[in-house]
Amino acid sequence: MSGPDDLTAATTPVPATQGPLSRRSVLRTAAGASLAAGALAATNVPALAATTRSAARHDTADHAAAGHAAAGHAAASHDADGPIVVHLRDARTGEIDIFRGTSQTRLHDHALAALLIRASR
Amino acid sequence: MSSHREAPEISKDPVADSTDLYAFVSPDKPDSVTLIANYIPLEEPAGGPNFYEFGGDLLYNIHIDNNGDGEPDITYQFHFETVLTDSDSFLYNTGPITSLTDKTWNSKQMYSVERVDRRGVHVLGRRLLCPPCNIGPLSTPNYESALGRPAVHSLSGGIKVFAGQRAEQFYVDLGSIFDLANLRPLQSANVFAHALGLGNMPGVNATNHLNVHSIAIQVPISDLKAKGRPTIGVWTSASRRAVSVAGSDGEDGVASGPWRQVSRLGNPLFNEVIVPLGKKDYWNHQPPVHDKQFASYVAHPELASLLPVIYPAIPPGSAPFANLAALVKSGKPRADLEAILLTGIPPGIVKGFTNFTGPTQADMLRLNTSIPPTPTSSPKYNVLGLVAGDPAGFPNGRRIADDVVTIELRAIAGLTYPLVNPSYQVDAVVNALTDGLTGASVTNGPLGQFPYMGIPYDGYHNPS
Repeated sequence: MSGPDDLTAATTPVPATQGPLSRRSVLRTAAGASLAAGALAATNVPALAATTRSAARHDTADHAAAGHAAAGHAAASHDADGPIVVHLRDARTGEIDIFRGTSQTRLHDHALAALLIRASR
Repeated sequence: MSSHREAPEISKDPVADSTDLYAFVSPDKPDSVTLIANYIPLEEPAGGPNFYEFGGDLLYNIHIDNNGDGEPDITYQFHFETVLTDSDSFLYNTGPITSLTDKTWNSKQMYSVERVDRRGVHVLGRRLLCPPCNIGPLSTPNYESALGRPAVHSLSGGIKVFAGQRAEQFYVDLGSIFDLANLRPLQSANVFAHALGLGNMPGVNATNHLNVHSIAIQVPISDLKAKGRPTIGVWTSASRRAVSVAGSDGEDGVASGPWRQVSRLGNPLFNEVIVPLGKKDYWNHQPPVHDKQFASYVAHPELASLLPVIYPAIPPGSAPFANLAALVKSGKPRADLEAILLTGIPPGIVKGFTNFTGPTQADMLRLNTSIPPTPTSSPKYNVLGLVAGDPAGFPNGRRIADDVVTIELRAIAGLTYPLVNPSYQVDAVVNALTDGLTGASVTNGPLGQFPYMGIPYDGYHNPS
């Protein structure tokens, strides 16, 4: 989850192309790509996923429509390596959704939210 | 319409718009059930050069609840994909299409079908070909024998499946009904039509000579029902990915995240006629198990209060809907409609019949699979279904030719209220309520075998 490092990242301007691969660089890439709907290469993901994983939230209707544990849909495996889309839902609360394949991860990260906002200006 | 363009949001997304749902014991194979979910409303047969097709970015579902909890126990999922033979041609076909594999058919659509249940995801078929749209005698000669029938795929376990264009079978006088609830056969009594001096006249089938896209699957009854529970609840839904990013500069767009339901359909006309405009989009996003929140609209349908106002006198001087008006005024909930649409009819209400699934209120098409199909040659066969003494018809599932407009119109007008209140006197006019159409109003009527939906109209002979 977010911590001091994230706060530093959020308050320090950084070039969008800075490397090497790290959580921070992934986030910069995300922000630089298209802000709230930035598509990322899956190879950039692990660090981010490891630090921000939270309970996946499923749409009410589709959770019921699946109705059974197996109904995560075969399609999930089809595009698990596909793009990632980041959606800053609420800048004040730092509520962010990350979409990958057929999953959705909700996190609260003020630093990341601030970074995304700054990168979008 | 049954569910064509029935809500603001889905009216702008035709490929995801479920139009009709049918569920019946197969008349020619009574150990099986046929489920048909139609999508893409009001297809103009001449709609080229990009003829209609299913959405490759959608997940189409047919759900079955077999234990009455309003949740799906079995889901059949369909994913579609379009493949171009020659992406440098603008043409849908470069010559007559004489078979499903003909190279002259440039834009082929195929699909996979999976069964999802508590044991997992089971692939039933992959790369199954749809038929092309019915273009005309030059492009699609011998349509049904060469293209339609070969697109019926037999899968293991006695399952048949078909997905593709078919003739619209739902008949309704849209032009009149949406003109202030006018019924042409009774319009001399419509307060607005009467003011214009319009006399009664036959109904006009507004959906005739139009096509839809059907997803049809025939499954052994034993694959669907739970032990000791012959009634199943059925609904269809279409879902899109949670987010999408439009492509640019030649790059593909992005779709990601969980599937989100954007359309659903159980009983015909539920969202169309029962749910208020401000909640129709919301309803489309909800699962049936949450339908208790809409039960008040079933218990107090707006149309029941409008009929006595719109038809104040048939003939002039009478009060044709006096009893309905009194019922509405009483504020008593329409427990008959709640049973028909939300729980099924409990035993003991209609002699020898039940399709009750339990107390959970959910809009599902409920089919008691133990009731055999009524042959169309039988005197018992009636497109008005159960209310006319034919228990194999709507609301026991729904057959293709069932006159659901008349059935629901009469039910809302009070025809079925005596089921829960035997002392209620149905207004005499209710049995005359109709938009004036029957199954004969459909030019390309149903087939006698799977997929039952009629042969699609071609664009050459039906250009407008």
